[in-house]
Amino acid sequence: MIDLAPSSSTEFDLTFSRVTKFYGAVIGLNDLTCRIGQGITGLLGSNGAGKSTLLKLASGQLRPTQGEVRIGDLKTTSTSAKRLFGYCPDVPNLYEEMTGEEFVRTMCALHGFPYDEVCDRTQMALKEVGMTDRAQRKIAGCSHGMRQRFKLAQALVHDPQVLLLDEPLTGIDPGGRQEINELLFRLAEKGKSILVSSHILHDIETLADQILVLGRSRLIASGSLSEIRRLLDDRPLVIEIIADDPRSLAAELMTFSQVLGCDIEESRLRVRTKNAADFYARIQDLVVKGSQTIRQMQCLDEGAEAVFEYLQQGKHSS
Amino acid sequence: MNSLRAFKTLLRFSFLRLFWSVNTLMVLLPVVGCFLFILRRGFGKMTPPEKAFDAFGTFLIFVFSSFLIPICSLGFGTTALGAEREDQTLVFLLTRPIPRWQILLAKILASLPLSCGIVLTSFAVYCLLVGSIGIKAFLIYWPAMLGMAVAYVALFHLFAVIFRHPTMLALVYALFIELFVGNLPGSIKRLAINYYGRSLIYGLGAVEGLKTPRGFEGIPAAQAYWTLAGISGGCLLATFLLFQWKEYRETP
Repeated sequence: MIDLAPSSSTEFDLTFSRVTKFYGAVIGLNDLTCRIGQGITGLLGSNGAGKSTLLKLASGQLRPTQGEVRIGDLKTTSTSAKRLFGYCPDVPNLYEEMTGEEFVRTMCALHGFPYDEVCDRTQMALKEVGMTDRAQRKIAGCSHGMRQRFKLAQALVHDPQVLLLDEPLTGIDPGGRQEINELLFRLAEKGKSILVSSHILHDIETLADQILVLGRSRLIASGSLSEIRRLLDDRPLVIEIIADDPRSLAAELMTFSQVLGCDIEESRLRVRTKNAADFYARIQDLVVKGSQTIRQMQCLDEGAEAVFEYLQQGKHSS
Repeated sequence: MNSLRAFKTLLRFSFLRLFWSVNTLMVLLPVVGCFLFILRRGFGKMTPPEKAFDAFGTFLIFVFSSFLIPICSLGFGTTALGAEREDQTLVFLLTRPIPRWQILLAKILASLPLSCGIVLTSFAVYCLLVGSIGIKAFLIYWPAMLGMAVAYVALFHLFAVIFRHPTMLALVYALFIELFVGNLPGSIKRLAINYYGRSLIYGLGAVEGLKTPRGFEGIPAAQAYWTLAGISGGCLLATFLLFQWKEYRETP
């Protein structure tokens, strides 16, 4: 079992035991086993990798075809388990006719709290997500970022032990991201288990202690940020360089142990390297020494898709 | 945390959401149209009274029960749950600590008073407009109208559980398939709710001299009444079973 929980397990750990989910003939999640505990766990994967399926299984909206998903001892599909988690879905629509406050209050009241407590909790949740001053706005007139915050507030309003957040930072400006990250850090410090999905590596990097990487419905990598980073450092990259003399630059680069090969196309040089960090350091030395003039340099496959593709290949070959 | 309190909140929320929706307006438009038609037609002034009763009965069968009741029922029956699916807001209910059967029960209980209330209230108003013959018609026919409304609401909830966009399908079903199938010769017409509604109306109205048109082979009123009750019960049971097991994964 992949164990992303701290050494002492709590009664609210989220456990996936050999979970497979089929949608008819299509596989949504393939044989996932892991335990997610206190702190922030990032769920990383390209579109269609199975992130939302995993979160829907964790929030009890879907039943696994095989295996089981539990929060503590409870199956996530049970009504009692739903008191323990807060779920922030990746849907654009809320109850458009309501104000933000009405929405959060209604969602809180659906947990069965008395009226006074509903009002107090609503105000607390709105304050947590920084929406107190905009709570009276109709949702229909709210921006995507404001909707995200109201969705987050409804997930927090009943003070759940486990938070399941599906792409919560999408559409939020950098200042807002910082605020939400700080909120999630505060909640993690209080001992909450938080599972955050994203297809953007940077979002997860700044937020999560532990990372699960999904690709083509499988778990392709997991561990701490430094462990994932180490895997990525060994990743071969293609770097395009525009230089005054690409032929002599290519000859010089071929002496580097990190360079796997070079292709020249007019003034463009395409370098295949296996350790990007070391390669960048050495080419920087070349430029500083003045032996080569480089006009432009860019990495051609830095995107998240390339990262997932690489990790996936590693998973298949191992 | 209290489950009953959560259920009552959901019931109130569902009722208010339906009541203050555009559907209420859409349903009231044909209701007002029929009101104006009855005012203009002047059933109450017709002589002899038997002819007036027959003419008003014909209006009730071909306009009220074949058009207005399905519209009122689908206006609230499909949207109670269907709007949550179409708007992708069902996820917010499914992740609350409320059992699924209670979510569906709240939606049905929220839509029934609206559908049945508008059907019975508008029927009562039309009957009052017509006068003494209308009052007599109300006392005879109200169980038929209520039975049809409940059966349609139950059927349209089943539509909402099965189909992602149930309103359009329900509209096509109510206005075309029901009328078409209900008027086919042979036993195929028994697939339409409308057929049992008409059988019930003709059966109940026969006491007052309402004539069954040539070519319509109805069934006895009691049998029609129990069949409508069976359709309602069967549709509701299927709706509850399907909703309990179906997975909703509507995402953008």
